Amino acid sequence: MGSQPNLLEKVIAFVDERVGLKTLQAKMLNEPVPGGSRWAYIFGSVLLFIFIMQAVTGILLMFYYVPSADHAYASTQYIIHEVDYGWFLLSYHFWGSSAMVIMVFAHMSQVFLWGAYKKPREMIWLVGLALFGIVMGFGFTGYLLPWDQRAYWATTVGVEIMDKTPIVGDFMARFLKGGATPGQMTLSRFFVIHVMILPAALMGLAGLHIFLFRKAGPAGPFRGTPDELKAKTDYFFPRQIWKDMVAMGTVFATICSLAFIEPVVLLEEATPDPGEYHPEPEWYFLFLFQLLRLKIFAGEFGQFLGAIAIPGVFMALLAALPFIDRSPERNIFKRPVALIGWIVVMATILIFTVSAIINREFLD
Amino acid sequence: MHQPRLKSKVRCTDREVGEITHVIVDPLSHEVSHIVVGGNGGGGRQIPMSEVQSVADDLVQLRTASSAIVQFPALKRDEYVTTHEVEIAHLEDHLHVESGEVLVPLPTLERNVPRRTFFMNLTHAIGALVALPLAFPVLKYLMKPMYSPFDNAWLKVGNVNRIKTEDVGVQFKYKKKVKEAFMPEADVDKNVWLLKASPTVLEDVYKGKDMEFRDQTGRLVWTNKKDVPYVVFSGKCPHLGCGYKWRKVPKLGKEIFLCPCHLSIYEPSGKVLDGPAPRPLDTLPIRVDAGGNVEIIDMEFKAGTKAQTRIV
Repeated sequence: MGSQPNLLEKVIAFVDERVGLKTLQAKMLNEPVPGGSRWAYIFGSVLLFIFIMQAVTGILLMFYYVPSADHAYASTQYIIHEVDYGWFLLSYHFWGSSAMVIMVFAHMSQVFLWGAYKKPREMIWLVGLALFGIVMGFGFTGYLLPWDQRAYWATTVGVEIMDKTPIVGDFMARFLKGGATPGQMTLSRFFVIHVMILPAALMGLAGLHIFLFRKAGPAGPFRGTPDELKAKTDYFFPRQIWKDMVAMGTVFATICSLAFIEPVVLLEEATPDPGEYHPEPEWYFLFLFQLLRLKIFAGEFGQFLGAIAIPGVFMALLAALPFIDRSPERNIFKRPVALIGWIVVMATILIFTVSAIINREFLD
Repeated sequence: MHQPRLKSKVRCTDREVGEITHVIVDPLSHEVSHIVVGGNGGGGRQIPMSEVQSVADDLVQLRTASSAIVQFPALKRDEYVTTHEVEIAHLEDHLHVESGEVLVPLPTLERNVPRRTFFMNLTHAIGALVALPLAFPVLKYLMKPMYSPFDNAWLKVGNVNRIKTEDVGVQFKYKKKVKEAFMPEADVDKNVWLLKASPTVLEDVYKGKDMEFRDQTGRLVWTNKKDVPYVVFSGKCPHLGCGYKWRKVPKLGKEIFLCPCHLSIYEPSGKVLDGPAPRPLDTLPIRVDAGGNVEIIDMEFKAGTKAQTRIV
């Protein structure tokens, strides 16, 4: 006779019988990773972790934040200066957004370099691009909310850029601003987009992203014969999950440290008079900002080229990538165009970001 | 060759040795790699597919003699998981190892539904019936604050006695009362740049012609006379809408208007000297009374376009 099941085991058995938890858990954890777990595969899980933390800190911030032009700034200051640990939660949310952008770049680079966007994973790539857009949208709508000078001017310029889209630009810009100039309506709209529309879109699309990923299976490394891959294969749990957990812990510790070392400080309250403030967007939009300073992007057409056409064509190229690049070769060292392309894009972003930072000196 | 099915009889060269209890599938190729033969006291031997000579509907013929069966390893069940416990994409798509089809009876009511497509289309139609009438109201609802009439009121911004030197940009800050939607009326900080222009600069601004300002209907609102030396520029950079400043640039050896955002540089007359701006600074309607008090009409123009399009 075996021992009688204890209460906990009975409860688990009761739930399992009705939900099928054990099968679900087995299905989720027992996913073979061809060629074995790797540190290179951590980025997707880390992004999910960062998003969950952004959602948690974001919800907590909403307990005090008021999205109105006459209270947004004061309520944010209240969170920073009066509410216990408010400074920490806001700073975590702030640095978390930067971490999210960095991880999106890392994740996309990994998939690109590993050739993992190729058949049969085209749909995963496309949904991933939409998610990239959503993350940038989160950044853009998020930093208007404190309603300080940085917020006001980044939004003013950002929406003016959108206005340059042919035909629909004027409508889009007015639609987002809720009028001709940024004001209460803009704040309301950005708030709804930031806390309702984008999170819902992100959750839906991230779910689809993971579903499609499970449907196609992990791509595995770009080298190795089937037998070698099989010999090294392990399941998602425990080795890959262990690596993912270490990465999440590291990211968490880093964001916390940044929140402690560089907590968020607001500038003056937003007004259409910048005073001595030199407007500048968040660091991940700096390269675009610097790009628009170039002489070749001067004038009405140049501006359309720099602000709309080039980013638009770049995104379209990324979307078309799995359909243009149909060779099954995944080894990045045998895909010179892809490798050089990646290096050029990364170097361009880096150079423009650095020159934007150097240019600050010239302005003072 | 067919895939061996569960429960099929297994024959060696000399005699039948039992039936298939499990099949083992390669997770990469998705092909059956082994069969497990049980029964007749065999204890479950794991036999590679290379030993299989032929597969009939319910009989698998091996190449080995029955005496050799015991040389194959026994199945170690712990080293395997079932296909229900693992997620391998498309594993089941081309596996046909069940002994026969598994059937579930179709409910009686479902057996003769002639209008299945009709009901499907009806579902979509009702969906459209709900969504379409909402599209226009929702759009109008969201568009409510997007377009508002221009305000051509004169605002006091200060006195010209603050301006000491010709052709030097002086910032005048003022408050504009703004009543936005449900919000209480608020004073919004704004600014314009005033210039006491020398005749050459004035000529650059007005090109020898009076400057007319009209509203949406084309009605004349105000005319800036070409010989009034006071010129006022909107505080909004015509490149992408930032606030620009008056700066001494050692490299140029003179003072200019500089926008810190994308580094557009304008001459005192507002003409673009360098940088990405598509048009000169926007001149606003100005009137100066005998006492030197300055009034302006607060206008804003769309940034980034060559033509001047008023938006406020």
